[in-house]
This record gives sequence, structure tokens and C-alpha cells, in this order.
Amino acid sequence: MTVTEQEIADYVARVRGALTDLSPAVRDELTEDLPEHLAVVAAESDGTLVERLGEPEAYAGELRIAAGVGAGRRSATGELTALVDRVRGRLNTLDRQLGPPLGYPTVRAFLHLLAPGWWILRGYLAAMLLAVLSTGLNGEIGLLPRIGGHLSLGLMILAALVVASVMLGRRDARSRPWPGRLLVLGNLVLVGFALAALVHQEDRRGAGDYYAPISVDSRYDHIRDVFVYDTEGQLVDYARLFDQNGDPIRLGYPDCADARDVIRRDEINGASPLLRGYPYCPEAAPFGPRPTAEASPPALPAPPGTVQPDSTASPAVPETAPSTPDPATPPVVPETPPATSETATTVPDTPPTSAPAPGVAPTG
Amino acid sequence: MDTTQLLKGVLDLAVLAVLREEDGYGYDILRRLRDAGLTEVGDASVYGTLRRLFAAGLLTTYVVPSESGPHRKYYSLNAAGRDQVARSGKLWRSFASTMDTLLDDRGRAV
Repeated sequence: MTVTEQEIADYVARVRGALTDLSPAVRDELTEDLPEHLAVVAAESDGTLVERLGEPEAYAGELRIAAGVGAGRRSATGELTALVDRVRGRLNTLDRQLGPPLGYPTVRAFLHLLAPGWWILRGYLAAMLLAVLSTGLNGEIGLLPRIGGHLSLGLMILAALVVASVMLGRRDARSRPWPGRLLVLGNLVLVGFALAALVHQEDRRGAGDYYAPISVDSRYDHIRDVFVYDTEGQLVDYARLFDQNGDPIRLGYPDCADARDVIRRDEINGASPLLRGYPYCPEAAPFGPRPTAEASPPALPAPPGTVQPDSTASPAVPETAPSTPDPATPPVVPETPPATSETATTVPDTPPTSAPAPGVAPTG
Repeated sequence: MDTTQLLKGVLDLAVLAVLREEDGYGYDILRRLRDAGLTEVGDASVYGTLRRLFAAGLLTTYVVPSESGPHRKYYSLNAAGRDQVARSGKLWRSFASTMDTLLDDRGRAV
């Protein structure tokens, strides 16, 4: 016995699938004793039904011609149901092949156990769909249905729909108030809705992560970065701000051009980019580049007391400046190297760095 | 030309002839046709032909409960069917004898 009940059912399904352009009554009449016939054929000899009778589609074609029903008008729904039947035939084959690895004779047998779970989920999805339709697509969608903003009403509808869905699922296929196809269509709509909702939520979650509000106060919303300068006017790198409770104050976000570098660097350190410290974008410092001798003048009010020697030295520079041309004039006075060495010793405090200073110091 | 081609034209008559002897259900009629020598008759062709003859009003059907399996649909000739067998049978005999003569003449000629 090489032909199983399942194979017979598959064969019948495919024959019927090839006749979907006919009216259901004609189709049923043509195939009503096909299962019995196939059973007899199967019992009579070895080999598969396809080996014995040819492909189901060919069988259907022969049946159609002999019955004189010809190729009927192929309506759009006929095409669709033909497709569904063909797919069903293929699925039946897969069903039997994939069942054993799962530990069940067929995948269907396994899925059958999950059906009650689906009924409950279906009720929930129907309630959520109703909630979304009632609040509009732009409304916030939570995990519980709110009908017109009322959670209690939504929950009552949810309970009712879950019960209805389970009852609908438990009904015998024959006594269902709705045609099977309508039910399938409804299920597909709900599954599509569920997938769309999942995608929507996932999108929103991702967006929320990126634009998470990190300002401590709306007054600081416009702040994108913080630059801390020390008493010498030097830009402080990796500065951290804390409030009176020791909680870090977060302002801005590392969104500068090289933020990626910053983030990568900090990911290596295992720290969140937001905890890295300020400024996020040192290149965007409002007061020029990293403070050098030229950057100190704006901060002069503070420095004068501490950097007095420097400021006294710089006025001295102009006096030495005339002597600095000496290195440039050695060819003129090559016999007086000691003299140059003397002038060099007179200005030991202001080595080469003082050379550019003469131009700047007077202006400062 | 093979038997299949020929069968297309005369399957109606063959089925009607089988039913003239005795009522039968689909598979039973198929087996009787094959036993009679029409071994190449297709399963689907017989079932389709039965439907068509029934739709044409030449057959009546009745269901016989079966202990072993599903109920069986039996076909039987009605008056119109018997008429049809008689007329078609006559036509076939005349056609066959024409063909016989044709083949015999030609056979002699060659």
C-alpha cells in the first residue's frame, strides 16, 4: 500500500483546483466520486496516483472535455481560487514532508494544537484593529485597545471579541455562519494588520532611541553642545557636568560631522557617547581653535596676575628684536661669532617662540 | 491514429451500451469497458462522459448505500437513453460497415 489517504486528498484538491472556473455545483458534481475512485485505483495496484492516472491537471482536463463543460469563463475569483487550490496542493505535499522532523505526522497536526492560541490572538487583533479605526491612524497605539480614548470600553470589546473568536474557532466547519473563504480573508486582514502594527512600533522605537530627549529643561533645548574654558582660556576637553545630586547633566547630542569618530572612540572605552563629556565636537568651539599664545589675549584680564613674567618678557622682546636680525646677517659679520653668542645669552628667556610674539604683543 | 482517437467518437455509445446490460457506478462501468477490450479508455473520460450523458437526460441516477465505503452513485439508462443507444448503434453499424468496405476495397487494391 503505497498510496495514502493524504495523497488521495491532494490529488482531489489539485483536480478541483484545475476546475475552479466552473460553477461550484458543476465542479462538485464532476468530482463527487473522485475520492472513492482514487481509493479503488490505489487499492488495485502499486505506484502513486500520478503514475497511474497522470497529473491531476491532465485528469481534470480529460474530465472537462469528456463532460463537455469545456473551458468555462475564467472569472477573476476563479483565477484566484485556482491559484489558492494549486498552492494548497503544494502545501499539502510540504505538510507531509515537514511533519516528521517536528515529531508529528504532518505540520497540520502540529499547528492544529496551536489553533486555540490563534483564536485568542485573533480576538485581540480584532479589538486592536477596531481601536485603531476608531482613533484614526495618527493616534497613539498602545498595547491595549482604547475605543474613542476609553480603555474600559476597549477592554470590554476586547473580551467580547476574544470570546467570539474562540466560539467561531470551535464551531464545526459546516455550521459556520460565514463561508470559509470570508473567514480566511478576515484572518488574513488581521494578520496583515498585526504585521503592519509590529513594523510601525518597531519604527517608532528606533526613532525614539535616536531622538530621546536629553535636555534637562526645555529652556536648554537649543543647546547642542557645551564648551568649558578654564581660567587660562583653554578649552577643557572631556568635561563633565553634574547637578547637586551628582546626576550627570546632559545637554545636546554628539551630532557633529566627526561624531562618528567620537562615538566609536567611546564605544571602545565602553562608555555611552552621552557620558563622554563635553564638548562633543571640539572642532566647533566658538572661541577659535585650541588656545595658543594668540588665544590668550581675550582671556588677559585673568592671566595678567599669574603670567606676569611672560607679559614683562614680551615688552622686552622688541629690544632684543633688533638683535635677532643677527642670525640673518652672519654673512656680513662672520668674524664676530662671540657677539652673536652674547646677544643670544641676553635673551635666554625668549627663545624662538618670542620671534612671532613681537608682531602680536604690541597689538595686545 | 490510435485507439484513444477513435474512442473519443464512440465513448458515448460504448458507455450507453454497457449500461444497457446492467446499471452501474463509475468505477464499475470503467472496469466493464476495459474488460470488454477498451483497455485504453481513460478514467476521467468515463466519469466525464457519464456526467454529460446524465446532463443530456439520457441517464438517471440513484444512490446505493455501501457498508464498506461511501455511498455509490449508480447510473441507469432511461427511455431517452435507450432510444439513443438504438439510434447511435444503428449509425455506428452503418459507419463501421462503410469503413469495413472501404478498408476491404483498398486492401484488395493494394
